Amino acid sequence: MSTDTMIESDLNISQLVDKPWVTIVWDDPVNLMSYVTYVFIKLFGFSPEKANALMMQVHNEGRAAVSTGSREEMERDVQRLHEHGLWATLQRDDKN
Amino acid sequence: MSEFSRDGNLYSLDLSIDEAHILINLVEQLLELLGEGDFNHHYDESDPFAQLMSQLKAAPEEITTPEDLVLLRLLPNAYADPEAAADFRRYTEPTLRGQKQRTLKQVRAALEIIVDEDRAGVVEDLDSEIWLMAINDLRLALSVRLEINPDSFDIFEALSDDDPQKAIYAVYFWLGWLQTSLLNLLTDG
Repeated sequence: MSTDTMIESDLNISQLVDKPWVTIVWDDPVNLMSYVTYVFIKLFGFSPEKANALMMQVHNEGRAAVSTGSREEMERDVQRLHEHGLWATLQRDDKN
Repeated sequence: MSEFSRDGNLYSLDLSIDEAHILINLVEQLLELLGEGDFNHHYDESDPFAQLMSQLKAAPEEITTPEDLVLLRLLPNAYADPEAAADFRRYTEPTLRGQKQRTLKQVRAALEIIVDEDRAGVVEDLDSEIWLMAINDLRLALSVRLEINPDSFDIFEALSDDDPQKAIYAVYFWLGWLQTSLLNLLTDG
């Protein structure tokens, strides 16, 4: 009983530590749609189709996850998006 | 109306003297808001001593969330959590602020040549990525002051010509048009 509990607890901690982070881009009424698509291609190397689909998701749903990875990687992505004037934040990936 | 043009990999912008004045004024106002008020200095930003000085000027403990909404839009919080956002800002905001200052100063230097000669002119062999980011930051700054929303173009059209706001809206929409002309060239092969 106690052994089982300990294993379960260890697993939870491991999941928490390994939980990836995600970069979110938020919609705003200023950045041009063509500019947002251009920045996605430039910063993340997306195909024009993927960049356009993510831009439309930001536009229609108010937000889109554009990258996932370690906290440090997502902080770099957010910083680069801010350099380009996009409204971006990072957070733990809730879906996992 | 002026627009960007492209010859191979060379980008240029043909401006009237009025347009050049409007642009350089906006650029300088935004530079001042970003804390860069001295336009006469001649040191190189990449000079290691200049970099050390700028780090000393912005000691981490002094950096807090900007109260000015334009600055908050240009230097936004990276986290929803205020504590995490403040921590991140302390260590990264000088870099972001410096990047925006360098971008604007590069545009200012190109415009200065035209403005100082007081004539219409072509900004030749310009750095398209720098201009793209600078125009975007100018649009963001104006959008905060104008409280731009999806109805703003209708509001602009309904303003009478003697309303002082009308000219500011006109500049905002002109910058969007200018940015579009550059994006069209950048994405056209």
